[in-house]
Order: sequence, then structure tokens, then C-alpha cells
Amino acid sequence: MKKNNSMEKSMERQYLVMVLPGFIIFTIGLIIPMFMALRYSFTSWDGMSSVKPFVGFQNYIDLIKDPEFRSAWWFTFKFTIGNTILQNVFALLFAMALDSGIKAQKLYRTAFFVPCLISAVIVGFVWLRMFSNVLPAINDLLGTNFNFLLFGDGKTVLSGLLIANNWQWIGYWMLIYLAGLQSIPSDLYEAAKVDGAGAFTRFKNITIPMLAPAITICVVGITTGSLKVYDLLVSSTKGGPGRASTSIIYQTYTTAINGRQYGYGSAMSVSLVIVLLLVALIQVKGLKSKEVQA
Amino acid sequence: MNRKRKEKQDIPKQAYTRVTLLIQIFMTVVAAMFIAPILIIINYSFKTKKELYLTSPLSLPSELQFDNYKKAFTKLNMVTTFSNTFFYTVVSVVILALLCGTTAWAIARCKAKFFRFCYIYFIVGILIPYQALFLPIYIIGYNMKLTNTRIGIIFMYIATGISFGVFLMTSFMSTVPIELEEAARIDGCSVFRTYFSVVMPLLKPAMATLVIMQAFQIWNDYLLASLYVSKKQLKTLTVAIQSLFSAQTSDYSTAMAAIIISVLPIAILFISLQKYFIKGMTVGAVKG
Repeated sequence: MKKNNSMEKSMERQYLVMVLPGFIIFTIGLIIPMFMALRYSFTSWDGMSSVKPFVGFQNYIDLIKDPEFRSAWWFTFKFTIGNTILQNVFALLFAMALDSGIKAQKLYRTAFFVPCLISAVIVGFVWLRMFSNVLPAINDLLGTNFNFLLFGDGKTVLSGLLIANNWQWIGYWMLIYLAGLQSIPSDLYEAAKVDGAGAFTRFKNITIPMLAPAITICVVGITTGSLKVYDLLVSSTKGGPGRASTSIIYQTYTTAINGRQYGYGSAMSVSLVIVLLLVALIQVKGLKSKEVQA
Repeated sequence: MNRKRKEKQDIPKQAYTRVTLLIQIFMTVVAAMFIAPILIIINYSFKTKKELYLTSPLSLPSELQFDNYKKAFTKLNMVTTFSNTFFYTVVSVVILALLCGTTAWAIARCKAKFFRFCYIYFIVGILIPYQALFLPIYIIGYNMKLTNTRIGIIFMYIATGISFGVFLMTSFMSTVPIELEEAARIDGCSVFRTYFSVVMPLLKPAMATLVIMQAFQIWNDYLLASLYVSKKQLKTLTVAIQSLFSAQTSDYSTAMAAIIISVLPIAILFISLQKYFIKGMTVGAVKG
């Protein structure tokens, strides 16, 4: 018995050695920075001097009043909602279309998927050129007069960025839905058909519940992915025109790195972390409870 | 999953009706729209400066010339940036594969409380992407003298990629038969030897999945690379491309050639390892 116990201890020690390197790297690279952000957010540190004057909640009070911070959140929020709805709907629609028995399914799959292999910085640049050079040329060709200069106007810049982001990511989420659809046993549909269920009833009562895990992954993935938008903006709109497409990370970058307000920028980071955690918590809880019912 | 897909191709779920044909036509149009920007990039990359200004963006270049590629090659400082990106990506993913394998296995096998805590601890990194913490990540790197070093950026790629890696690997652990490990242990293998001689060979497909998914993230990363590296000889391809975009707003046919060069390696990797990629993406998405 005693021997057994000491063997278990030694095994546990060996397991610990296997976990520790990753644990330490992760702690230094992500967890400690999280607490650093929290700590700096209570100071007015400029990033250079050795003194980090403690200011209490002053940064947070300033943030609430800061119109730039609020507009950055407003943009990020609209961008996130737009992406979550559009990408989920189109990804699911495309997946269903591909799963409906059309020929050369693989070819379509690749066509939709390729854009997500490209870096978001490049996607931003490509759509900048699409809107300003290529699409107007189509206008000339067809003799139409659509306004394609979506990045040039504060009112349309959001739709332009949504198009670029959806172009990049729909194929990725579509593949997840496709895998989900293909795992649904077809006899479920046949049984429902025999029972006289129409196409919509079958979709509502079989497809959606069976896809629940895929829906969870896609919704959470798209939301977190959109909340952290930055790369796409760097090469396309640079947060403009004006501040119309400044996301929260973009605003943090300008404030902290360019404006040397590390304390204030840290408070912005903290606000994003809180939102991310809340969103993940709510979504996982809400969507998981649906999965259980199904 | 793969078997299922094959069955489906042999026996289509539904007959090819008129509705299917309509869907096929519609999806062809949509797919063409998705591919169009890529074709336009390729088309641009072969245009001369003159053609860029005088002809329509939709017209084809008059001849196949590689001047833009040559220009992009020198402007991006291609030999350096390409090998940097390649080096960061390869070293990071190899270390990630090794670390995540051991970590995930220990978490899956050891039932002590600390290991269960570890799993949740690592998952936090999926919920909070590093972009949200770029500022303190930059500060900690600066304080530890990790900025502008190769080790520094690789360290951060590992730290920011480990969450997803552990999640992925842990979900693969159920495919490793525990009986084999028990047999190895009875034969007197230590935990380490069991892992390296019995478990790791079985994890190869999972590791391939992890490697390709992370490689694609790291290759395309912009924010971390732009924060951590300012020295010219350490720059990555994405950062160099972004400076090319902002420096050469008029001569964008060179930029388009640069895009093709930078996307090509990852596209080849994807095409050759598609199977593993899709496996990694769909972890947890399919009802067991």
C-alpha cells in the first residue's frame, strides 16, 4: 500500500514536469499580462518613466466620458453584431446548399475557403482596391452608377468592412457547418418525411438541434473574432474616414503606443477583456443549454 | 468523419432534381464572386505600370511578365523577411506540437486537482485572444528584453497558441487507447518513456492538425510581429507587406505580386494537408 502510494506520487511528479513548461510560458505570455493591464489601468503611466502614479479609478471615469472610446466601442459592437448574423446565416445557407447533393461539392468548398487563408492585412488592402478601382470599372462596363467607394464615407464604411470580413470568413464557418450537416444521419430526415414533416419543420426540428454544437462554436468564434478586429483596418481604412471605423483595439493602439498613455490604454484593454469574458460566458451558457434540450 | 463523406459521394442523399440544378447554378455564381477578387489580384500582378493606369482593371495584361514579382522581391527584402517568417513559424509550431502534446496528455491522464485546474486555466486563452492584451504583452516583452529578438517573438507565438493547442490535443486523447499505456507501465516504463515511445507516435495525426492550424495563424499574424519586431533584419512578411501597402499607394501591381508570393506557401500547405486542417477546425462541432 505504502509503495503504491509513493509510486503514485512519483507519477504525479512526472506528469507535473510535463505540464510545467507550457504552464509557465502561458502564464508569462498571457496571464501575467492580464494582471499587468489591470494594475496599469489604475495608474497614469506614460510608458517611459519609472514612476507609475496611482490614480485609482480615474482612468475608468475618464473612459466613460471619452467620446472617442465610446465611438470605438459603438463601431466594434456594430461590426460584431453584423458579422455574427451575416456570417452565421450565409455559412449555414452555403453549407446546406453544398450538402443538397450538388455535383463537385469539393470544388465549391475550396472556392469559399481560400480567402480565409489570406492574412487580414492583405484582405483589407485587396478590398480597398476592389472598392476604389475594380468595382467602379464594372460600373463603366455595364453603364451603371453604383457607389462602390464604401471606405470613403463614414456611413458606408461599416458595410464595406463587413463585406471584406464576410468574404474572408464565410468559407471557414461554412466548413464547420458542413461537417455538422454531414454527421446528421439521413434516416432522421426520412423518418420525418414519412411522418409528413415539411422542409421547414425538418430544418427546425432536426437540422438546427443536431447542429447545436457547430452553432455554439461558430457564434462564439465569430463574436470573439470580430471584437478583436484590428489587422483588417490597418491596411484598408486606418480607422477612418474620421473615426468611423476605429475599433477598440485600434483605439487602444493609438492611445497607448502612439499617444504614450499606457495607463489609460490599459484601462481600454481591461474593458475589452471584460466584454470578451462576459460574451463568452453568456453565449456558452445560453447555447449549451439549448444543446442539452436537443 | 472521412468515411462518412465518402459514403455520401457514392450514394447521394437525394436525387438530382430541378431544384438541385437551380442550387447548383446559384452556387456557381456565388463561388465565382468569391474567387473573383483572387483572380483580380493575379491579373494585377502581371500588369505593367502603364497598363495599370491606362487599361481597365478587368482587362488582361498584354504579355506575361514577371517584373512586378522581381520588384516585390527586392522591395519586401524577400530573402530576409521570407526566411524570418518561415523560421518563426516552423520553430513555433514544432515547439507548440511538443509542448501541447505533453501538456494535454498529462491533463487527460492525471486526475489530481491541479491538472483539472490547468485545463480551465489554458482555456481562458481561447476566450481572451492575445490581441485584447497586446499592450501588456508588449510591455512584459519589453521588460524581459524579448522585443527585437527571435526568441522573444517565438516565445510569444508559443504562449498565445498554447491554449488552442491544449484544447485540440486534449480532445484527441480519447483516441489513444489507455491499455497500451498500462501495458507499457507494467513493463516498467516511466511516465516520460510511456509518453515518448507509446503515446506520441499515436498523436501524430493530432499533431499534424495542430501544426497546420497554428502555422497558418503565425504566418498571417500582423499585430504581434509589428509590436515585437522593429529591426529590419527581423521583420516578417506580413509586416513588410503592410509597409509596402502604405508606402506605394499608386504602384499597387507590385503589392499584388507581393500578395501572391506571401499567400502561396500557406496555400500549398493547405492544399497538401487539407484533411488535417478540416479535422482541427471541426473539433467539437460534430455530435459524437
